[in-house]
Amino acid sequence: MPMPFNLDEFVRGVNRRTFLGRAAYGLGGIALASLLDNRLIGSLRAAETPDRWRGIINPPHYPVRAKRIIHLCMAGGPSHLETFDFKPELKRIHDQPFPESFTKGNQLAQLQNMVLKARGPFCEFKPCGQSGLEISTLFPHTAEIADDICIVKSLHTEQINHDPAHAFMNAGSIIKGRPSMGSWLLYGLGAETENLPGFVVLTSAGKTGQQPVSARQWSSGFLPSKFQGIQFQTRGDAVHYVGNPDGVCQSTQRQVVEEINRLNGVLAEERMDPEIQTRIAQYELAFRMQTSVPELTDFAQESQATLDLYGVKHPGDGSFASNCLLARRLAERGVRFIQLYHRAWDHHGDIEGGMKSAASDTDQPCAALVKDLKQRGLLDDTLVIWGGEFGRTPMGQGTGRDHHIQAFSVWLAGGGIKGGMTWGSTDELGYRFVDDDQAVHVHDLHATMLRLCGIDHTRLTYRYQGRDFRLTDVFGKVVDGIVA
Amino acid sequence: MLSHSFLKPAVLLAISWCSVTTLSAASVTTNAIQFNRDVRPILSDNCFRCHGPDSGNRKAKLRLDRREDAIEHGALIPGKPEESELVARIFNDNPDDLMPPPESHRTLSTAQRQLLRDWVAQGATYEPHWSYIPPQRPAVPLVYEANSKNLNPIDAFIRQELSAARISASPEADRRTLLRRLSLDLIGLPPTAAEVAAFLKDKSANAYEKQVDRLLASPHFGERMAVGWLDLARYADTVGYHGDQNQRVFPYRDYVINAFNANLPFDQFTREQLAGDLLPNPTVTQRTATAFNRLNMMTREGGAQPKEYLAKYAADRVRTVSTTWLGSTMGCAECHDHKFDPFSAKDFYAMEAFFADVKQWGVYSDYEYTPNPDLRGWNNDYPFPPELQVDSPTLQRRIKKLEAEIATTQAEGWRQWRTNRNSSRTFSEWRKVSRAWLKHSPDGWLTPFPQVQLDVKGTNASNGTNFLVEADGSVKLPRPARENTTLSVTLTNGWLAAIRVEALPQEVAASAKNKKPSRRAGSIKLTAKLVIDGKEQKLPIHFADADFKVDRYASTETVIGVKDGWRVRGDRDQQASVWLLERPVEVKSPTTLVVSLGAADVASVRVSVTPFAAGKPLESGASEALRRDLRAGRKSPIVQNSFLTLLSPDYLRQMRPLLADLRECRDGRAWVQTVESREPLTIRVLPRGNWQDESGEIVAPAPPHFLTQPIATDSNRLTRLDLANWLTSTENPLTARTFVNRLWKQFFGAGLSAVVDDLGAQGEWPTHPALLDWLACEFMQPTIGKPAHAWNVKHITKLMVMSQTYRQAAGPRADLADIDPNNRLLAAQSPRRLEAEFVRDNALAIAGALNPEIGGPSVRPYQPPGYYVNLQFPDRDYDADRDDRQYRRGVYMWWQRTFLQPMLANFDAPSREECTAIRTVSNTPQQALTVLNDPTFVETARLFAVQLLSHKGTDDKRLEAAFQQALARPIKPEEVASLKKFLATQRAYYVANPSDADKLVRVGNAPKLNSTPAPELAAWTQVCRVILNLHETLTRY
Repeated sequence: MPMPFNLDEFVRGVNRRTFLGRAAYGLGGIALASLLDNRLIGSLRAAETPDRWRGIINPPHYPVRAKRIIHLCMAGGPSHLETFDFKPELKRIHDQPFPESFTKGNQLAQLQNMVLKARGPFCEFKPCGQSGLEISTLFPHTAEIADDICIVKSLHTEQINHDPAHAFMNAGSIIKGRPSMGSWLLYGLGAETENLPGFVVLTSAGKTGQQPVSARQWSSGFLPSKFQGIQFQTRGDAVHYVGNPDGVCQSTQRQVVEEINRLNGVLAEERMDPEIQTRIAQYELAFRMQTSVPELTDFAQESQATLDLYGVKHPGDGSFASNCLLARRLAERGVRFIQLYHRAWDHHGDIEGGMKSAASDTDQPCAALVKDLKQRGLLDDTLVIWGGEFGRTPMGQGTGRDHHIQAFSVWLAGGGIKGGMTWGSTDELGYRFVDDDQAVHVHDLHATMLRLCGIDHTRLTYRYQGRDFRLTDVFGKVVDGIVA
Repeated sequence: MLSHSFLKPAVLLAISWCSVTTLSAASVTTNAIQFNRDVRPILSDNCFRCHGPDSGNRKAKLRLDRREDAIEHGALIPGKPEESELVARIFNDNPDDLMPPPESHRTLSTAQRQLLRDWVAQGATYEPHWSYIPPQRPAVPLVYEANSKNLNPIDAFIRQELSAARISASPEADRRTLLRRLSLDLIGLPPTAAEVAAFLKDKSANAYEKQVDRLLASPHFGERMAVGWLDLARYADTVGYHGDQNQRVFPYRDYVINAFNANLPFDQFTREQLAGDLLPNPTVTQRTATAFNRLNMMTREGGAQPKEYLAKYAADRVRTVSTTWLGSTMGCAECHDHKFDPFSAKDFYAMEAFFADVKQWGVYSDYEYTPNPDLRGWNNDYPFPPELQVDSPTLQRRIKKLEAEIATTQAEGWRQWRTNRNSSRTFSEWRKVSRAWLKHSPDGWLTPFPQVQLDVKGTNASNGTNFLVEADGSVKLPRPARENTTLSVTLTNGWLAAIRVEALPQEVAASAKNKKPSRRAGSIKLTAKLVIDGKEQKLPIHFADADFKVDRYASTETVIGVKDGWRVRGDRDQQASVWLLERPVEVKSPTTLVVSLGAADVASVRVSVTPFAAGKPLESGASEALRRDLRAGRKSPIVQNSFLTLLSPDYLRQMRPLLADLRECRDGRAWVQTVESREPLTIRVLPRGNWQDESGEIVAPAPPHFLTQPIATDSNRLTRLDLANWLTSTENPLTARTFVNRLWKQFFGAGLSAVVDDLGAQGEWPTHPALLDWLACEFMQPTIGKPAHAWNVKHITKLMVMSQTYRQAAGPRADLADIDPNNRLLAAQSPRRLEAEFVRDNALAIAGALNPEIGGPSVRPYQPPGYYVNLQFPDRDYDADRDDRQYRRGVYMWWQRTFLQPMLANFDAPSREECTAIRTVSNTPQQALTVLNDPTFVETARLFAVQLLSHKGTDDKRLEAAFQQALARPIKPEEVASLKKFLATQRAYYVANPSDADKLVRVGNAPKLNSTPAPELAAWTQVCRVILNLHETLTRY
């Protein structure tokens, strides 16, 4: 049955009428912004057209090095001291009182009111690759991609508890209602696909060290909800309500959508209301998503060699390995921001067992993702970021470590990042970054990330409650030293 | 159209509290530059960031927000633009001198620069920001129009602007559209077909007003109004931070609904919520209202710093109060003086200080590293005190309903039983045995002499096995901790239906710490088995309850009964628990009953048995009534129940779910978080908002320094009640404007000042400032008609919906596309997509499936499985409601802050982690997926189809009925044609694929209608899915 209209024509038509379209529906925050300031008409366009190709930053402020970002969020806060920041001196003073000169006046989490003792790393480090980056032996596969990654050892944050620290890492603020970085990026650059959400979140959990993570972390906050992260589920439909109701096959569903749109078309003829056209376009998109999501999550096309590379045992089982493979498939299909949470890194106790377990679940898939992207030519314009919401104390907490915000390590790869290098360093006990010039605040990480995507972080703004907001608030400096 | 009127210049009083001294009267001619309308937005947006109120960020020591400062600095020389630095800087080719500086990415348009120059030339006059001047009631403009007698004061203001712009108003919408609009706007539900028909028939002059009055009096009015208020109050069922545990707050939601229904004056509504506990002799309702102050997010995260979180909670309250009542963004002043408005950082903390007496803990737990002696031993399942126990009328109604059902089920059970053969004989045998039992145990309980076995912890337990059995069958237990205490008794013959355990708590001797001897809590966990000829038979427990117990919690709710463990109270002597067997057993030969009591760390226990089990465990045994009726041979309900419980498994199967539901009603009582006042904490200005910095000055409660100050009270320190009175004083320039502006948005799509959460400098100069002020005054002090009281929400609501402006046909209008694309002049109504809750309510109501019950615990509609998998502490399940609660209104949906129900989230409902005054209105594929595929909507479509099919008629007639019901209008010929074709396709498919039909009509809990063949019902379900998904269905025109 032919559609009574041509969708592409619709999209173009809606573009032309967008401004009017929003206006017709009373004023949300966006439409108002446009009244106050004509410069924001651009944002209006970005926010409300179903044309998902262009964002507000158009053309880009800088050359686009990264078209998409994959954030491997090691939720819970992995120890930098057992991953990428080797501290022989800490090992030497293991179990001795931790020098008060380091800790005085600093905020602690569960070590509040406790006697502080040094805790040395329990694992070995080895120089890896041509570049000789020092990487813990818990991560043998990451060692193989040493020449592709840049390790930042001087990252620091402001929030010491999980929930606000995730908020800070994602939104640069702990005030609720601020958009996450994925939403900002989608708003800035738009989406490369109409068939999938532009910002996708995948979650998995390890055996220990789990902490809850909230959907707030991928909220679009005050940005329009089309920019929000869509969490893929491992049970039931991958995307909420993407499956047809029981007893409705794809072709009858198609008939339902066509009939809805045909009747909406009748209404559109009577009323000069572009919102109706938008509704028609959204039903089309929804139906396309119903087709493309099952195709996306069907791993049948993946070779055994690929599954083995990632260490995927049961494709689609919701494991971190399966999610990494899915991340590559999302990247291939033009999804702008892909965020993987692996909840396994909160090692207040038994850090040895916990780290080993978490590392063995994540090391191979992370390295495989970088290798796989590289061999498919996708790494050049895909930025991969690995890291937690904070690090862990060089002071012991029983058999584990507490939360730590003065310095922690992340790595970045692809998308215009220099491989095989280290940026920044910490003092001899791994407590705080040492060189202020090489210190990287979370805001700086955001600024750098946006720069790699061709965006000047000071110019990616959105007006809300009378103020132009940024991902980087009023801070942030680009870390030029790690850009290739 | 003739129109002639004069807008009298608003009389601006010289106001002493304001630092701005030069006031200009609003000008009659529109050409003259008005500071507030024309200049302030430019300065605020481009200059104030560096040259505004924020002293911390000020450049070149220049502030442009105050005239005398700007003049002193030389930036402004009134009347001499050429000599004014400001003008020189904005007309400048040198990038080093240009203002705003290029790096700010702000540029002034040529028109804006010219305007500033002209303004300086005209004398550079300032006005205090419009919203900080108390509103004065402006005269209602005179409007000369043919039909002006139909216009109300609102229309006069609107028509004045329309005629100035030479735009004609739209005609009144047709009655069908009008009633659907009014009904959706006032009660959030569509009109029924009958209501539409009645309105169409009503030829009286006040037909429309009658509808308005009917809807304002509807109990659903409060539900509709509550939705917006609950967004502001950040009402949710969970605490939001980290583990996002459940909290007990629903009585507050019901308070809000009742308050709107009862038309509680808004000033009183304000006082009750902010300070209900401080009112003289506060009622339970008023104390329930104070939950408003307890709806901030809370944490229980290990390692969280109590002081840091108390600071977060306090800051949240300031943001909430300032958005809700002041329409101001005070949140900015947490870290620095506000950049655009005169709020100082000190103002922020002085506002915080009003709430310094709200008893609360930073971290709701007791960790080794952050000990909390008040909440010793609390875990993730515990509530968030202080709390108050209140009556829930909803639960009480439910109890009545269930009790009636239980009575019917029991009568039916007895009737069923009587149809059995031998029923009379069995009954009389049972009665004989029972009477015999009562002879030796008049209260129905038998205490056999027990054999006792004590399993003692550790090896050195020589004296731990000493016990003493008293003559009454109770067992005195020794002190040392035991792993298990087992009592064995011999039963000879008869029925066993329930076991009673009585306990006396352990005595604690007097010590230096405890002056007097006391008792301490102990615990008992009962398991039972029978041993017959050496063979064991487990006796599973169905349910147990105790007369006294220490409460246990699961996901913040008090655990009902003691089946999973009875914690004996230390502050009582003798206590009893009764344990009902899953299946009563009949003992025919001597049999051993073995009862294990777990640790049983109590002083003594006594175990008894009975054949008489009651639905409520504690009523087991033989009451006076049972004894009497058995003796008299009366087959009373209590006799029937005792009998059927033993002999009819069917009866138990039917009764027990009802009894469980009854228990879930918790005797019609519920807990609500509330405010208890404590000694106020010290509040300091926190430099840059840093909670660890104690260098800031200590502040006392005070309203923002530049607004009118409250009258001093008796006490030295201002209280929350003073704050509430200040907010609702007629001198307060912001509260009434903020409220009526938000209300305007509800009925017209946008506020008169469109940014309803910011009436400050960065907000919008109102489109109709005089109307906004008139409405604010009319709200505070009504003059039209005879409203019963001031601050009258229904009065001001009625004025808005009675206006011709409201009643106009909906746009957009082609002729206004260029002149007024945003419909700000209101020459038409603005169509709007329904808000999330009403998308649901509307669909359920159309299908006739809505359960209109009001209030009560939150309900759980279908939700995708596994949605809470990332939640912990504790792990969370989601069990969708299986009964009629599944079909309740959206306002009652379970509100999980961290994982908001996807349907709500997809339709832009906020998570309510933060006070929210504006919901975005988006149009996304996720919305399409929801209405297409969410089981709620699929089932609703089926129920809609069932309803259509229940009437005899042709396809045409049914389609007509469907449109009347869904859209309150007749179906159009092209719609009939299209849908009939579609229906034919669907019929063909489902007749050919009956198994698909069968699946589709079984989506959801509602039982399938058997009379219609599944393929026919499936085909109509598809038709109804189409109708529920229509843009018109989702939109209020």
